[in-house]
Amino acid sequence: MDLKAQNKWGWMIAVYLFLAGLGAGAYFTGVVASFMEGEGWSAAAKIGLVLGWPCVFVGAMFLIADLGTPKNFWRAFMKPGTSWVARGTIVISIFMALNALHFLVWIIGGWDATEGARQVIGVLGAVFAFGTMVYTGLLLGANRPIAFWSTALVPVLFLVSALSTGMMAVMLVAIIGGESHEGAIASLARLDIMLIVLEIVIVAAYLQGAHRVPESRASAKLVLNGAVAPLFWFGVALVGLAVPLVFELLGVYGLDGSGASAATVVAAIGGLIGGLILRRVVLAGGIQAPLRAGRFEFALPEMRG
Amino acid sequence: MPRYGFVIDLKRCYGCYSCQVACKAANFTPQGIDWARCVPAETGSFPVALRQMLPLVCQQCKEPACKEVCPTGATTQDENGIVLVDKDLCMGCKACLMACPYGARQTVGEWQTYYPHADGGLDPYESYAKKQWEKKNGYGMATKCDYCKDRVADGRKPACVESCPAKARTFGDLEDPESDVSMLIRRESGFQLNPEFGTDPACFYLPPR
Repeated sequence: MDLKAQNKWGWMIAVYLFLAGLGAGAYFTGVVASFMEGEGWSAAAKIGLVLGWPCVFVGAMFLIADLGTPKNFWRAFMKPGTSWVARGTIVISIFMALNALHFLVWIIGGWDATEGARQVIGVLGAVFAFGTMVYTGLLLGANRPIAFWSTALVPVLFLVSALSTGMMAVMLVAIIGGESHEGAIASLARLDIMLIVLEIVIVAAYLQGAHRVPESRASAKLVLNGAVAPLFWFGVALVGLAVPLVFELLGVYGLDGSGASAATVVAAIGGLIGGLILRRVVLAGGIQAPLRAGRFEFALPEMRG
Repeated sequence: MPRYGFVIDLKRCYGCYSCQVACKAANFTPQGIDWARCVPAETGSFPVALRQMLPLVCQQCKEPACKEVCPTGATTQDENGIVLVDKDLCMGCKACLMACPYGARQTVGEWQTYYPHADGGLDPYESYAKKQWEKKNGYGMATKCDYCKDRVADGRKPACVESCPAKARTFGDLEDPESDVSMLIRRESGFQLNPEFGTDPACFYLPPR
């Protein structure tokens, strides 16, 4: 029996899932940073606010471009009760609106004068940012025939990856913008090290848990040992997890000054590339269950059209 | 109201693909799109090996997984239990393709000719098929089998049932306990495919040998 992976959600959807997570994660980081006192935190907060909704917006454009009939995309707003795609569309839109409002309040009222208002909007926005990060995984989890997606670990994995990539994007922009690798950036890097370790544990548990039914076993084989394996081992394991972990450890504990900054830049670029490839790997590993009749198992034909 | 259903006898099917071709002829589906399909499987190993065909149509589930994930309300069920896609509401997100356990849904890109090297574009038969397809369906959105709804409304049977030379397919009303489909399901222990997905299909199969 030759089970075939889905081929209808490809790179475009991977970019959408990645950017939606990245934007929400960056905004979430920014809101947390806006509650902190000390060197560099207000810069981190501002970067998070600026990165947030534009990333999600660009991601949504990729989603719309992937639709069969993009002119109908607005209909996804009309029936929120129907499905995860519809509910997620609304959550993401509210997130973008709150983030934009947050940004406007800052620009019109000034940074220091609007602290109270910003924190109120920020807490509300962070709730919807959380929803956006989790939703990118729930979207896949809603597909019961695809056991590789239909597990509670996918939303958790995407949440942690979104927080981590969002944080790395904030650090990357901060360092490029001339912030030193001290204060806020060093604290974020320490936090991110924990997130990366957590992500490694989740990826391992996720792939281990795939050894349950034939279709998810086929998925795990495809990802670890099949056509998707180069992407997984090189893109996710090496570039997306090992490189950021090592270079952030170097940046925090090994190097000082510009060396630490350079290490963090390398870590962040690797982490961002890995975050995108992680989405692609999970999508490309999606295999539908075989149909069973008597002692026969029928693999569904490859998706065409 | 009747609930239309299928009984497909796996003992009778010998995999001639007549249903697949008849469906294409009746519904003018574009190249690569098949609402009725035959899927082969093997079991055992030499010298005791068996081959079996599984004819697939939309299972017209009572709890359709495709409807559960459809964000625009394009997926509906009519009074006969037939799951329909409104081509003007569908945005082509392909969520239903992932959610359907039976591979019943496909999206159509654009009309492709069967004779790409021929001069003068589509031949008359292809242009006719294209026109017929565009009348009821279109491009970009999800499409699926509707148990030949219009033929059935005219008092005929679905094209795949009419064409089956092995008489493996029976079409009828599942609500009527005296109908052929209901009797076959009761007497020959008809079963639904992959009940673990909780979809309650209207398409029943009779066990293979």
